[in-house]
Parts: sequence; C-alpha cells; structure tokens
Amino acid sequence: MTAALLGPAFVFLVAFVVLPVLAVGALALLNFDPLSQETSFAGLENWHRVLASPELWQATGNTLLYTALTVPVEVGGGLLIALAIRAAGRGAGLWRTAYFAPTAATLAAMSVVWRWLFYPHVGVFDETLGRLVGQDGWLSSTTLALPAVAIVGSWAGIGSCVVMFLAGLSNVPAHLEDAARMDRAGAWHRFWSVTWPAIGPATTFALVITTRDSLRVYDQVRVMTDGGPQQSTSTLSFTAWQRGVSYLDIGGGSVVNTVLLVLVLITVAVQLRLGGRRWEEDGRR
Amino acid sequence: MSTTAVTEVRPRPARRWAGDKRGIWVRWSLRAGLAAGAVFMLTPFLLMALAAVTPDRRLKPGSVSLSGFTLDNFRQAWHDVDWPALYLHTVVVVIVVFAAQVLTSLPAGYALARLRFRNRRLSFWTVMLCLAIPPQVTGIPVFYALSKVNLLDSYTALVLPSVGSAFGIFLFRQFVLSLPQSVFDAARLDRVGPVAMVWRIVLPNVRPALAAFAVFTVVGHWNDLYWPSMLLRSDQVATVPYGIARYAAPESLSTYGTQMAAATLATLPLLIFFLLVQRQLVRGIALTNGGE
Repeated sequence: MTAALLGPAFVFLVAFVVLPVLAVGALALLNFDPLSQETSFAGLENWHRVLASPELWQATGNTLLYTALTVPVEVGGGLLIALAIRAAGRGAGLWRTAYFAPTAATLAAMSVVWRWLFYPHVGVFDETLGRLVGQDGWLSSTTLALPAVAIVGSWAGIGSCVVMFLAGLSNVPAHLEDAARMDRAGAWHRFWSVTWPAIGPATTFALVITTRDSLRVYDQVRVMTDGGPQQSTSTLSFTAWQRGVSYLDIGGGSVVNTVLLVLVLITVAVQLRLGGRRWEEDGRR
Repeated sequence: MSTTAVTEVRPRPARRWAGDKRGIWVRWSLRAGLAAGAVFMLTPFLLMALAAVTPDRRLKPGSVSLSGFTLDNFRQAWHDVDWPALYLHTVVVVIVVFAAQVLTSLPAGYALARLRFRNRRLSFWTVMLCLAIPPQVTGIPVFYALSKVNLLDSYTALVLPSVGSAFGIFLFRQFVLSLPQSVFDAARLDRVGPVAMVWRIVLPNVRPALAAFAVFTVVGHWNDLYWPSMLLRSDQVATVPYGIARYAAPESLSTYGTQMAAATLATLPLLIFFLLVQRQLVRGIALTNGGE
C-alpha cells in the first residue's frame, strides 16, 4: 500500500531528476542535432572540445566566485537582519515585508531595472554606492560585472534567509534566554550558548538552499549582462544553456552541466556531513 | 480594582533590555540600521515605478528626475507585448503544477512521516538529494527527452519537469510529523485505509502547510525564467519572465521607459499576491526547520 502513496511522486522525481542526473554524463558522449533529431556516438570528442576551450574554466571560476560573494552575504546578513528585527521590538512584520519583497519580485523583470540602475557613470548606482566605493561603469568592466551580478543576487536572495532565520529564532527556548539574562550573561555569550544551538537546523537549511541557488545563478546573468563583457559573468548554468539552446550543442552543454552537477554534489555532501543529521530528526515531538 | 489585578498578573512580554535606557538606545539604533537596509531593498521598486510614469524624452539613462507624468510607457508596453496571453499562460502553468505537486507530494510526505516500510531511509535521502539538485543540472537531458517526443513549446513541457516536488514532500513530511499521533490512531480504529487516510484525514489537518506550499509554488513558478528558456521556442505558451526577458533583450528596440513599465507589469501581480499571503509563507518556512 505504501507504493500507492510514494509511487506517483517517485515516478516523477526519478523521471525528471534522478534519470536526467544520470543521463547528463551519457549525453556528453553523444552528438545530437535538435534540427534533424539525429543522434550519433561521439566518444570523448565533446569533452576534449569543451575542456580545451577556456570557456568552461572561466564559467567554473565565475560560478565559484559568485557563490563565494553571495552565500556569506545572504546567510550572514540574513542572520544579522533577523537578529536585529527580533531585538528591535515592534514592527517585525513590516521589516519582514520590506526585506522579503525582492525575493517575491520576478527576478527577470527586476534585472531589467537593475541593468538600467547600473547604467555607466550617470546611473543611480554609480552616482550613489558606486561613488562611495570609488568605482563606476560596473557592467562594462570585466572585473566589476560579476560583483554587480552578485549584488543583485544578494538583493534578491537575502529575504528568504531573513525569513528562515526569523522562523528559527522563534524556536529559541524563552526560559533559557531568560535564565541566561538572569545570570547576567553578556549578549555575545547568550548568543553562543543559547541562540546559536537553537537555530542550528535553520542555519543548515539556509546554507544548503542558498548555496544551491547561488551555484545555479542564471536569471540576472541572462538579462543584465548576457554573460559579458568578454565572458566575465558567464556562469556554468548560463554557459550550459547558451551551448545547448543557442548553439544547439547538446553534447557540449552536457559537459558543462556535468561539471555543475559535480560541483553541486560536492557542496551538498560537505554540507550534509556537517549538519544533515539534525534535518532528519527535526520536527519529531 | 479588577483591571489593576489583570494588568498585574499578565506576563510581561520577554523583550530584551526592556525598560533600561541603554536598551532604548540600542533598539533605536537597530531600527535605524534596519531602515537603511530597507531603503536599499525597496529603492529599485520605487525608481522602476517612477521611471515607468516619466515621459520618455525626460528620462535620463539610469536615473529619474521628477518631471512630468504619463501613462504612455504603459500604453506602449501593453501594445508591444501580449500581456493577457503571458498572464494566462503563467497562471495555467502555476495552477496545474501546484495541483499536480499536491496530488503526488502529500501522500509521499505522509508515508515518509508515519508509515514504516523497507527502504524508508533510502527514500527519505533520495528526496533530500533531489531537493539539493537544481533544475539547471537536469535542464539539457530534459530538453533532449522532450524534444525527442515533440513536446517542446507546450504546457506539457512547462509542467512535467516540475510535478515531482522534493520540497513539497519534505514540507508535508515535516508537518505530518508535528500532528498528534491520536489523529491517525482514531482513523485506524475506524478502519480507514491508507489512501483514504491521506485525503480524508491528513488533507484537512495540513491546511496551513498547504497554504504555505501554495505560496512557494506560485512564487517559484511564476518567477521561473530557466525552464521556459530551455523548453520554449516561440511565444505560443510564453510565460511572464520569458516574455520580459525577450522584450528587454539588448537587441530589442524597447526604450527605458517602456522597459520599466513592462517590468512593473511583470512584477506587480506577484507582489500584490505576496502582500496578501505573506503570513502563510512565513509559516511554511518555519515548518522547514521544524518550528511552529
């Protein structure tokens, strides 16, 4: 009877997640022409071709750099903002709405807005924050375009971290907090001995989800920079899409996808090793 | 007399530093910091709206001067893009995906939470692994398979890859775990079978989780640009993000004003939806890490 309950969900998960994951590696060994629908065996030709081009390594580097720029900002910033919202007293709902609105907004559309705000030299961004850090013309610079994309990614993603941590903070046992305060424990000590252990599951969840979403970055890259200037913002998922869909190079795109998959699996394995057990046990009362 | 008694016994809300002067100072500086952050978060929306109603010849690249008011940008953007079609396609995809996800995820979530069976741990970790794998990894194989069976450019293409929802299964499992065992014991005494259990006993009890999941699915699939970019070749079933990405592409001839109007038209329905239902969303996220 269990099969009737689990079956439908697992059929779809296997068909559209598990099998494609296994097929990515195989597709990288094939040549497929979407126009004539013909498939032929290519051996390692796709691998040789893609590994030899600087494109793949640049995309891998860009993806890792983007992840390194956004995850700490989103998870760390999200935690700080959630702590501040909690400590600020009244108005939590209002703050939450303000910080979460960018997450609910269509990123493809807001990337159009951000591209315009980043207009070189005279745009609002260069005139305000850009001037503050002494840099302008972000989207036309090969070194600043990726940070610009990361700023937009953090803007769009930090809200879900704030909400996850607010939810986690509501689990902090009030009696422990009160007891710590009675003992005149300092704010820092209270945080480490009471708050931090209680929000463990929330931290794991936020970290896994944020890292996954950073590794797969696509929307802003596509709309704001189209991978440029000079491939300086092309990430793995963007390159795979560009190869597979724009250049109709399914084999080459699959090679890029395989690299992304390996990257995702490594990070997930590390993260689950560090904090996975709490997940499975959670929610049991 | 009675009123004073009530105020005396009412437990004081546990608020940090309540009362002392340093606490007030800390609270206000926290509020100032939060406000500064909120300005950064909300400014793009404000500038988008202002630019959308500024006459095009007054609009400078990348900034707004408050001069003039016009709806011409909206008229033009509305004329250039078939918005009713974009909205319709997106709404259809979102509703069908949500219904299909609930039909498959709720029974699976219940089974993982409450039933004992062989390979239970394996099933759970398969779901968790699927949760961690982004669609960008599976995009090309799915594109390959769907183009082999001639399903590109259809509602089917946009819906099928999203039916199996690891997130839904996980969310429902967490919620079912938090329900009291007595609910299930009573039903079992009445000889309710497992399938009937899901739809007659579990479903009415998981309404909060269902509402939260609805918000997640609607936000996620309304905003999704990746699957449409992968699986669509024409505007036949174009969704809102797909339409806006094409309309504002560098090679398109749309002006900044009309782009901002189009961005507003794309974003507004979901922002309104979010403002109406954000409570459910917060609740849903609380479930994912075992809170409530």
